[in-house]
Amino acid sequence: MKQTRGLTVPLGLAFVASLISLVPLWYLVTQSFSKGLQPFVDELMQQRTLSLIVRSFVLAGSVTAASVIIGTFAAWVITLSGIRGRTFLTIAFSLPLAIPSYLSAFAWISWKPSITGFFGAFTVLSFACYPYVMLPVAATMSRLDPVHEDVARTMGRSNFRIVFEVVLPQLRRSITSGALLVALYALSDFGAVAAMRHEVFTWVIYGAYRAGFNPTRAATLSIVLVMAALALTFAESLARGRDKSANRTTAARHRQRNASRSTTVLSLTGSAVILVPAIGVPIINIIAWLGRSSERVVDLSQVWMATGQSFLNGSVTASATLLLALPVAWSAVRLSGWRAQLPERLTYITHALPGIVVAISVVYVGIRVARPWYQEFPLLIFGQVIIFLPVMVSSLRSAFEKTPVALEEVAHSLGVGHLATLLRVALPIALPGILAGSALSMLAAVKELPVTLLLRPTGMDTLSTKIWDFSTISDYAAVGPFALAMLLLAALPTALLGTLSVMKDGHS
Amino acid sequence: MKSHALELRNVSHSFGGTEVLRDINLCVSHGDITALLGPSGGGKTTLLRIIAGLERPQHGSVSINGTVVADGKTWVPAHERGVALVPQEGALFPHLSVAENVAFGLKKRRSAEVVSRVSEMLNLVGLPESGNLRPSELSGGMQQRVALARALATRPTVVLLDEPFSALDAGLRESLRDQVVEILQAANATAVWVTHDQDEALSTANSVAVLLDGKIAQFSEPTAVYRTPQSTQVAHFIGETVSFPGTVINSKQIVETRFGRLGLLTPHSPGAVIVMIRPEQFELVSAHHTGTQVVGTVMTTRYFGHDGTVEVQLPDGVIVTVRLHARLLPEVGSTVGIMVNGQVLAFDEK
Amino acid sequence: MKSLRKTIAALAALTLVGTACSSSDSSTDTTTASADTTLTVYSGRSEELVKDLFAAFTSETGISVDARYGDSGEMAALLMTEGSASPADVFFSQDAGALGAVEDLLGKLPTQSLSNVDAKYSATSGKWVGVTGRVRVVVYNPTLAPTPPNTIDGLLDPQWSGKIGFAPTNASWQSFVTALRVLRGEAGAEKWLTAFAKNKPVAFEKNSAVRDAVNSGEVSLGLVNHYYLLEKIAAEGADAVTAKNQFMAPGDVGGLVNVSGAGILSSAKHANAAQKFIDFLQSETAAEYFRTKTWEYILTNGAQQAEGLPSFSDLKAPSIDLSDLKSLDITQELLQKVGLLTK
Repeated sequence: MKQTRGLTVPLGLAFVASLISLVPLWYLVTQSFSKGLQPFVDELMQQRTLSLIVRSFVLAGSVTAASVIIGTFAAWVITLSGIRGRTFLTIAFSLPLAIPSYLSAFAWISWKPSITGFFGAFTVLSFACYPYVMLPVAATMSRLDPVHEDVARTMGRSNFRIVFEVVLPQLRRSITSGALLVALYALSDFGAVAAMRHEVFTWVIYGAYRAGFNPTRAATLSIVLVMAALALTFAESLARGRDKSANRTTAARHRQRNASRSTTVLSLTGSAVILVPAIGVPIINIIAWLGRSSERVVDLSQVWMATGQSFLNGSVTASATLLLALPVAWSAVRLSGWRAQLPERLTYITHALPGIVVAISVVYVGIRVARPWYQEFPLLIFGQVIIFLPVMVSSLRSAFEKTPVALEEVAHSLGVGHLATLLRVALPIALPGILAGSALSMLAAVKELPVTLLLRPTGMDTLSTKIWDFSTISDYAAVGPFALAMLLLAALPTALLGTLSVMKDGHS
Repeated sequence: MKSHALELRNVSHSFGGTEVLRDINLCVSHGDITALLGPSGGGKTTLLRIIAGLERPQHGSVSINGTVVADGKTWVPAHERGVALVPQEGALFPHLSVAENVAFGLKKRRSAEVVSRVSEMLNLVGLPESGNLRPSELSGGMQQRVALARALATRPTVVLLDEPFSALDAGLRESLRDQVVEILQAANATAVWVTHDQDEALSTANSVAVLLDGKIAQFSEPTAVYRTPQSTQVAHFIGETVSFPGTVINSKQIVETRFGRLGLLTPHSPGAVIVMIRPEQFELVSAHHTGTQVVGTVMTTRYFGHDGTVEVQLPDGVIVTVRLHARLLPEVGSTVGIMVNGQVLAFDEK
Repeated sequence: MKSLRKTIAALAALTLVGTACSSSDSSTDTTTASADTTLTVYSGRSEELVKDLFAAFTSETGISVDARYGDSGEMAALLMTEGSASPADVFFSQDAGALGAVEDLLGKLPTQSLSNVDAKYSATSGKWVGVTGRVRVVVYNPTLAPTPPNTIDGLLDPQWSGKIGFAPTNASWQSFVTALRVLRGEAGAEKWLTAFAKNKPVAFEKNSAVRDAVNSGEVSLGLVNHYYLLEKIAAEGADAVTAKNQFMAPGDVGGLVNVSGAGILSSAKHANAAQKFIDFLQSETAAEYFRTKTWEYILTNGAQQAEGLPSFSDLKAPSIDLSDLKSLDITQELLQKVGLLTK
């Protein structure tokens, strides 16, 4: 039982921060039940709705399974395999985070038009999502104490059995938390399923807005996604287990790193099999687009402006998300009782919602209660923060879990108050996790489209709106420079992310 | 009357229905080193956390320097108590240098005053050159000394040490604990030192509080804890004991046992009692020695270097453990006579 | 550049707590449209297609335009969500369905605006007016298909099996299917679509890809809008392009004309300027722009059409109330049912 008195301030902040996640829920409930309960029930009871649920879960499930396998293998290559060139591979393996799913889907289709349907959506999403598994797993792998494997080896376990009996069980938490992010991403993604013409929930939700002009139907279907997000989050917290064994202060022993010939061959072959579809296909196509002729001359200054704007939006969004996520994650880790856990759970509500639903709900609420900021910068940031808060909270959560509580207690006993302890102890130690969360949010914000499109101040162009603009008129030659700029802009936080994930500890 | 550095009154605490601390009363004087000795899971760490302000007691009060810091109404949080903690394994901040760790609790951390205080503390703990090192570059013992310097730097009313050496190897532990006592005395610090190691408690503290089953079973000087335990539980916990039935005779000073009449350390009312003898009080003599009343067969001997123990089986099957100087260890299988030296303790039968 | 500066200004404002007072619109006057008026246009038409047109409007009238670009359907959803609080004055949509969906939010246009355009291409309610028309055609490769069909039933002929290209996600194709449902009924539409699906049409990602496939001979026929061919000719020269447009027989639903159009929000704060904008869209300046940039048909009566296009009045498009094209979601469900939309 931990001391909770005097900590009402962070808890209060956590609640306020998590309330913003309720904005979409407010809108969805108002819309869904605007005509009473009956239409809501009717919509849900349709055979079609059920088959959509099944299709969506089949896609999300297979993408998650593939991402877990690819991501865990990639994590092994960049940490435990011991082969040369791991730094380069780390960054290469993280790069799919820099490529929006709609862009990579365009690239696949323009290269291989027949790949549409389930297989296309599955391919694009799996190769876009595995870094969400790779990053936390690599972080855990690089901190694994090799003594456990040595003990198992002395007890007669083969290398193969050691992987399953010793290594994988220690990775359970990282794998499940990564898998949750992937599953929710796959449920909410629209870019890939639209380009691949694979009908799932988000496709129908977008259709209800764009083609059916039927916001009520879209809202009703979105509520199903909210429930799915809650169910998945709950399942993940069960799978995560109750142990908080990450509170270790002693450093792991150093690992002997020298890869055998067969390990090197396996690692390099596997890396090629992953990297060609994950980054080779999109990047080669983007470069090929640059070579095409276009009647529109893309002014380099336009690219610069859009890049600057994307960078600014991304940094402001990441900072704002970080500020809001801090009290939420800190309360969830350091305080006990349902009151401390509730804010964290609330942020997951929005996690499976497609961007357009969040965008429309911020429009709905913004125009009613924040009229002066409507279609202004603050509300755009607000909308993006809603989307990225869950990822940031989960990054911070695992960062705080790695900080032994004893350090904070020592600080208190030395006469340092709660806020000062947060600033001087908890935050600096969690810094790698904080940077990683911020980099992820920034990447996601740079790629984000629907919220930017509907909430941006009039006249604001970002890389993603430019890419969207030119691709709607099929001018891939003009898309090229913007897509390349996005890749380059996103490569920086991506490299940071990859490097952070395999750092043994951030300080020595 | 001068107030105590630390005073606990009727402190009780439970976790989920299990009472871990019962009616604890404890006074620590200024400059004293008090050991809180008890078995693992006996509530020592909880008591320490209550003193530190990391846990709020459900009943009772805590006063520091005569000021109540926790009772039913008052609650002073950890950072306002002036109580510095040295946890297990030191818990140095990994992101700060050694000097920054020591300066952590000081105000105006960049002032010249702080710089001199830090070097004073590092000198005190014998690490004057290591201010710029990272904690990960230090050995376990050095880390502990830095943790102590960090705690002392703030001039706390009380320093709390929570099993500070449990992670270190035996040799290092002994030399380090002597150093720490010297450092604490040099700083004239008041300390509460939690440990489950009786040697550590008896050799370092001015007073020892024995915590058994959530209660203070005895609170006295180290010698008194060993020589005159106030209960069989304390007697069994502190050092080894051999128990025999006996009868206190009317003088209240003498007890009749199978080893003959023995003197009592503390008077006991006449009647049947349990007599408690320390293994080192036994002496082995030749079976035919004059005055020998008890003989037995040597079953096992154990060699510890400076001394050793012998298990002797008496004719009725009872086994007596005897502690002897190593060079006096008998042959296994030989028949020996047993005598008791010095005074013994008598406790009521259950 | 402007937006980046605006963002920085907004950031600066955020740091000063409590500056969020009323962001006063400098010109909320509904009676005059002076030079300092800023008109807010929600455009379902792509920025690259219309930004120069908006600039021409500004230089002609002195009224600046704050344009918000997005998918027409998304813009309609945005308007529906904003309701009467919307900052928009004008909705300029890529297709009639999106205009039909927000008709409740639009005000009735003056007769003068409506009378400039054939009633067939405006809302029956008079709330929006068509600006340009896109005609569905069969683009064909003369070498492979010397006699292309000119009715949709002609497309069902087995000789075209596996030789017809189409873009299943394209909005104009889906509008055509919607029109098919309206004209032939749900059962009639399903019957045609099932037969069409049996003829193994080849799906492409975009209309331009269909056109290029026809031109290169990968397929013989393609279902697209009329201007895709003109776009290619303008880019590569007439000699380089083999493919030709087949316009459909009079009244055949395959020759559907879908329109881009505009309406004024009843909540518009700059109604006068908005009306000037509608007038401008019907002006010769705008007509010249569409003729040379988008090769669409100009719907304003008496306007000259782009070079090489058959006369608009000769086309005899099928009769349909374009506002009915808003039931696109039902169309998509039908397309899924017959297997023409998703895999």
